[in-house]
Amino acid sequence: MTFKHWIKTITFYEILVGMKATMSHMLHYRPSTLQYPHEKRTLPDNYRGMLALLRYDDGTEKCVGCDLCEAACPSRVIRVVSAEVPGEPTKRYAKEYYMDMTRCLFCGMCVDACPVDALGMTREYEWAVYDKRQLDLNKEQLLAIGDRSFPVREKQLELQHPNVAFFNVAFKHLPQKPD
Amino acid sequence: MTELSLRLAVSLAQILTEMGIVMVTVATMTYFERKVLGWMQDRMGPMEVGPYGILQPVADGIKLFFKEDIVPAGANKAMFALAPMLTMVVSMIGFAVIPFGPNMTMDIFGLTIKPFVVADINIGILYILAIASIGAYGIILGGWASNSKYSLLGGLRAAAQVISYELNVGLAIVGVLLLAGSLSLVEITEAQAWHWFIWGARPDGFFPIHTQIFAFVVFIISAVAETNRIPFDLPEAESELVAGFFTEYSGMRFAFFVSAEYASMTLVSCVAASLFLGGWNAPYPGTIFEYVGLEQLAWVEHIAWFASKVYFFLFLFIWIRATLPRLRYDQLMRFGWKVMLPIALANIIITAITVYFFPRG
Repeated sequence: MTFKHWIKTITFYEILVGMKATMSHMLHYRPSTLQYPHEKRTLPDNYRGMLALLRYDDGTEKCVGCDLCEAACPSRVIRVVSAEVPGEPTKRYAKEYYMDMTRCLFCGMCVDACPVDALGMTREYEWAVYDKRQLDLNKEQLLAIGDRSFPVREKQLELQHPNVAFFNVAFKHLPQKPD
Repeated sequence: MTELSLRLAVSLAQILTEMGIVMVTVATMTYFERKVLGWMQDRMGPMEVGPYGILQPVADGIKLFFKEDIVPAGANKAMFALAPMLTMVVSMIGFAVIPFGPNMTMDIFGLTIKPFVVADINIGILYILAIASIGAYGIILGGWASNSKYSLLGGLRAAAQVISYELNVGLAIVGVLLLAGSLSLVEITEAQAWHWFIWGARPDGFFPIHTQIFAFVVFIISAVAETNRIPFDLPEAESELVAGFFTEYSGMRFAFFVSAEYASMTLVSCVAASLFLGGWNAPYPGTIFEYVGLEQLAWVEHIAWFASKVYFFLFLFIWIRATLPRLRYDQLMRFGWKVMLPIALANIIITAITVYFFPRG
């Protein structure tokens, strides 16, 4: 042990350096925490929050009951019961649609999988409840979340050909419907 | 008979005042510790109850008071109930011999009392050492009576730690006692009228050869260890022993342990201020109030000096807690017996020699 080390040991040099660091944090007090219920941090643009079902501007549900979201979901959150639209044998819709949000890990794969963009991720995150059964959401609840989070709705595309009606998408090479 | 009852009443009033001051200090410390720790760790500390969380101690007190009182199955009920009381009482009665202000007498109802010290007994520092040792019993009893492995381990650690470091406290004090020639805290404080013992005080002048700075450092480190504070908080090491000896305690009993910890912190701060930093003496001779002709108010300045020294030590405890991690158990023991003890012993020998060659005037 050199003389310098010895001096450092008996004067508690390292401890004093540490105490200087804590003191400088106190003197330059700049908290990195937020008073959460009173102030909230700004969310990033691509924030993935609560899932929601969306509607077209005329109020009809976008969901066509194709079950692709159920297939894409890694934690089996989604359960879809698909049915024919009464009177229109070519069209289908989700008769029942359940999401067990206790299992959801907010990966967004259901949103990516949806062919008609019927699912959306909102910026809601304060979903703490006292009873976890309240997090097993049905179709009405999911539509309500979508209604309050996406006030601007997409226009429904009129379908040019009955054969592509199922997918509810427009194709440029087919004749457009006059406005 | 009337004189006796009057004396009792006056003593009781003094004791209640001092208890009140200590309890207020403890409550302030619980708030202040969380606040200062928060600031040092870039947090805010308590902010919800009252402006800047100032009512947090009150909220904590109410919450703990109304909590369920749980006695674990298989616990020794009498001992379990005794332990927090013992710790609390012992940490409070040590304050009886601390001189908070100048050694002046006051005539009240025909009695002559000393207003700033409850009991000016001539073995004051011995009394404090004895009382502090009993405090360890509360911790050991609490650990043993809880019927829990964590509590028992915490209690055992506390026993070994408090015994090792109490030795160093006692030996660090000896140098001061040699210089002051008295065991009474009032007389020790008066002997440092200008030069504090940390620099080598003498009633007849400044003798740097008598410096007690090594004893002071040993005393402060041992005091941190004796009050079970970080970095020596092995008896209640959260990451190893849940909460150590008070793992099984809840409600008011838990509050007793916690406030006893803060009260004994305040007690060792008072002792350190009285022994090494001149107690209520200002760092300059006399007081400013005396110079401007307000001799009646000199005691205010004395008390202010005492309070600022005590609060400096309390802040130091928090500051050390914010800075240092916990020691390992063998490091703690090695540091106590192989480093602190030889320094304290060497300090006694050197002080004894210097006092022999430069005796007090």
